[in-house]
Order: sequence, then structure tokens, then C-alpha cells
Amino acid sequence: MNQTLTHDQERRETGHPAAGRGRKRRRKSGVGSGRRPWLGLLYLAPGLVLYAIVVIVPVGQGVWLSFFNWNGVTAATWAGLSNYTGFLSDPQLRSAVEHTLYFILFFSILPITLGLISAALSSYKGLRGAGIFRAVIFMPQVITPAVIAVVWQQIYAPGGPVNDFLTLVGLGGITRGWLGDFTWALPALGLAGTWASFGLCMVMFVSSMQAIPPELYEAVRVDGAGPVREFFTVTLPSLRGPISVVLALTMIGAIRLFDLVWLTTKGGPGISTITPTVVLYERAFANPNVGSAAAIGVVMSLVSLVVVLVIVKVAEGRAQ
Amino acid sequence: MISRRERVMTYTLLGIVSIAVLFPLVWVLFQALSPSSVGSIDLAHVQWSNFITAWQQAGFTQYLKSSLIITGSVVILGTLVAILSGYAFGVLGVTGEKFLFPLVLIGLMLPMEAFIVPLYYDFLDYRITDTYQGIILAHLGMGVSFGAFWMRTAFRAVPSSLGEAARIDGAGSWAQLWRVYLPLARPAVLTLVLLSFLWTWNDYFLALILVSDPAHQPITLGLGAFSGRYLVQVNLLSAAAILVSLPIIVLSFIFQRQFIRGMLSGSVKG
Repeated sequence: MNQTLTHDQERRETGHPAAGRGRKRRRKSGVGSGRRPWLGLLYLAPGLVLYAIVVIVPVGQGVWLSFFNWNGVTAATWAGLSNYTGFLSDPQLRSAVEHTLYFILFFSILPITLGLISAALSSYKGLRGAGIFRAVIFMPQVITPAVIAVVWQQIYAPGGPVNDFLTLVGLGGITRGWLGDFTWALPALGLAGTWASFGLCMVMFVSSMQAIPPELYEAVRVDGAGPVREFFTVTLPSLRGPISVVLALTMIGAIRLFDLVWLTTKGGPGISTITPTVVLYERAFANPNVGSAAAIGVVMSLVSLVVVLVIVKVAEGRAQ
Repeated sequence: MISRRERVMTYTLLGIVSIAVLFPLVWVLFQALSPSSVGSIDLAHVQWSNFITAWQQAGFTQYLKSSLIITGSVVILGTLVAILSGYAFGVLGVTGEKFLFPLVLIGLMLPMEAFIVPLYYDFLDYRITDTYQGIILAHLGMGVSFGAFWMRTAFRAVPSSLGEAARIDGAGSWAQLWRVYLPLARPAVLTLVLLSFLWTWNDYFLALILVSDPAHQPITLGLGAFSGRYLVQVNLLSAAAILVSLPIIVLSFIFQRQFIRGMLSGSVKG
């Protein structure tokens, strides 16, 4: 989340290919006399200038910086590709990447699976109060990530409800500060992520399921299909679009994970919950190795772009 | 259409899921109301004053002021920029569109990590770190891609004959935008305003990097600072967390439909 701005950049681009198609169609159907491209450029100018200052120019500078060793103060020295080549042999980055894969499971795969199951079970027509359930389940989506971090810090605290519950059921021996534990901090944060992204998955799937024409279900029912086959032959294929959107979104959320980790464990204990963005932040600002931080940013962008493009391609390819 | 058994099962399932989602939030709410500073819940002695104490101890008055200035400016200016850019791409067309439109769209896919490090050093050069202008500028620049794309889609849904009719009546492009296109795109603008509010208010990372002076930091950083103190009083921390999320929760209840629809179509659109 936030990241949540955060969460949202990714959410948008899936519109890209389809939008492109719409544009071609529109062009053919009539070159409107309302089109005045030079005037358009004038209207676009403020946005373009802001975008150039904040995004385009720094992206270029980031690539350039990634070829240097620089501590942020003294003169930079040329580093060639060394900020990239050491990537996976660097123990900090190596664990950050491993944690990312682990987080993808908790932020993406798990919520999508749970979301599909519960959406399928709950999308019956004529269910009263469905709106209230939807609003409740959706709630974590709008809550400030910094607040989510505080909330889960309390839940996992030594005197928190998880330990209370364990003591209650006679498992007092395994209570601990979950976020301070080398083994358990990572899955504990993962579950917080599942909690945070599950709602979006479910609500998205429910609203797409409602758009499936009932005739499709009637057709398979005539063939004598049960609810399970119904799910796999009708529901699942119809949800390819939303699944790919949510997949892209949550995967990038996992790749970029920062707020939740920084505000709870700061990547610790040790480096047991460190993420690429935490490494980037520390190298850029705490203990400057700016070139390396920039290289992390470049690689993260490339990975995000590839993830999104692959998911969009796969979803489109299958749909045709 | 569905059997009683199915209905009961569905309600049970939705109930379990809702409780699982709500439990952590309700727990924190109860902690915030309890007198115990180590987090035990005691609703027999509800202590509303925790909210006031938390507000004072965390110094939220200044943080809230900053958050309001930052979020307010970003929402207003960002929406304006989005309207202008969307009108350009969606209605007027743009010279060099074949190059410029993909360039703007790429911003939708780039994570902040791609440019945040050099952006910080640029802002140091411009001497706008630790200022409202700096963080507002950063939010605005990052919002251009989504805003332009979003408003372009909205303006394209307006039948061009309407703009055409206004043009024949002598309306220039500016008047057409405000009198014809914008009124018809009002729902899209409302959604954009809500999303922009949500994203700016919730931001932590950008502000953490660009604003290190507490006098200009938004309330999310105020909460972070409060939770990082050496001896944390859990009930006060919980109260502070609730205060920070309150505006968004209230907004999302008032505009529930727009929020859900916006966040869903914001992702599915196209």
C-alpha cells in the first residue's frame, strides 16, 4: 500500500493496451475538427514540465548515477558496471531479493487464492447486506500504511493478542515478540500483507463475477456441471482480466515493500526482513553509497516493467 | 435461487472474513480507549482523554497543519493539471502525441524507486528539501501520468458533437473545457480528487526522504516518530494511529461507492 500512492502506479497501466486500441478506433471513425494539436501542447505544458522535473530527468540521472561510486559529498568516481555485477553476491541484497519472493507469496498469491474462493462463495445474487461486507473487507485498502504498521506492531507485541491467545490455549511456551524473532518476523509481516491486500482482491473479483452473463452458467448447468466445474469452466476464465490486474498490482506492492517493514522492524532483526527498498533507502541516505542505491532503483524499475508487461501479455494472449 | 444451506454458509464465511479483517483494527481501537499504557484492554474504564493526550504528546497540531497544506495543494493543483493534460490528450490532440503519450504513460509503470535518489539530490541543489514546495512539487510530478490518463479517458467519453456545437456557438477551447466537457466529466473528477487525497495523505516514503524537518513533515511521519520513541505508551500510540487514519476512514464512508468504484476502475479501466 501507499504505499498507497504507492500501490497505485501499478494499478493503472493495465489500461494501457486497451486504451491504445480505443484510440485507433476513434481516429479512424473521424478526425474531429476539435483537434488542435498546437493548442493541445499548450494545455499539456504544465503537466509535462512537472513530469519532466520530477520523473523523466531524475530517471535519466538515476541510470547515470548507477555507474559511479559516490558517497553523496565528495567527488564521484567511475564504477562501470560494478554496482550491478555485485548484485547477487551482496549478502544484504541477496536476502532482500529472497524476502521479496517470499513476500510475493503472502502479498499476492495467497490473497488472490483466498479472494477467489471467498468471492466465488459470496457472489450469489440476492444476498442481503453484501454491500456492508464489501465495505468492511475493503477497509484495509484505504487505511494509511503507517497506521497499518502500528496496528500490526501491537498485534504481534510480546503482550499482544496473538500471545494472549496462545497462552489461553495452553501454548504459553511459544509466545514471543513475533517481529523481533529472526525466524518469525518475516512470515508475521507476510500475514499482515495478506490481511492488507486480500480485500482488494475479493472486492475486485466479486464485482467482475457479477458481470458474468447468467446464460453462461445456465449453459454449463444444462451439461450437468456441479459448482466446482462451474467455477473452473465459467468463473475462472472470465476473471482473467481482474486476476492479472491484481497480480501485477500486488506483486509490485511486494517488490516495493517499505512502509510496513521500516516502521515495524527496520529490516531486522539483523537483516531478516530487509527488502530492496530498505536497502536502497539506507544506501542512499543513511550510509551513502549513492551509486549502488541508484542501481537498485534501476533494477527494481526494470523488474517492475517486466512483471507488468509479462502479465499483460499473458492475459491478453490467452484472451484471444 | 439459492438454498438455505448455501445462504447460511455464505453468511458464515463472510462473517468470519469480516471479523478477521476487523479484529486488528478493533483491538487497536479498544487499546486506545483503555487506561493501561502497556496495552491491556479495559473497557470498563474507558478513557477518551487518551486521544487528547496522544494529540498533544505527538505534537499533531503542527503535523496536521503540514498534512493539510501538502494534501490540499496537491489535490487542487494536481486535479487542475490532470484536467488540462487530459483535455489536451483526449480532445485537442497534442503535437508529437506519438512520442509524448507513451512517455507520459511510462510513468504509470515506473516505481518511485526509479527516480527518488537523484530527485533528492536535485532538490538539495534547488534548495527545496524540507519545504512544502518541494514535497508538493514531487507529488504533483508523480501524479501527472495517472491524472492525464484518467481525465483523457473521461473526456473521450463525452460525445464530440457537444464540443462541436459549443464551438459553432463561438466558444473557444477554454470555454468548451469548462462549460461542456468538465460538467459532464464530474464523476471522474470526484474520483480523481478522492484518490489523490488518499495517496497524498497516506504517503510516508516520499516525505521521509524529502522532508527531514519535523516542522514541515506530514502526519504519517509524526506517527512514525511517535511510535519510535523509547518508552511508548501503547494506548496513546493506538489513539494516535486512529487519529491519523480518521479523515480517510470518514471520507471512505461518505464516498464509499466512489472509493470502491474508483479504486477498482482505476485499475481495470481501459
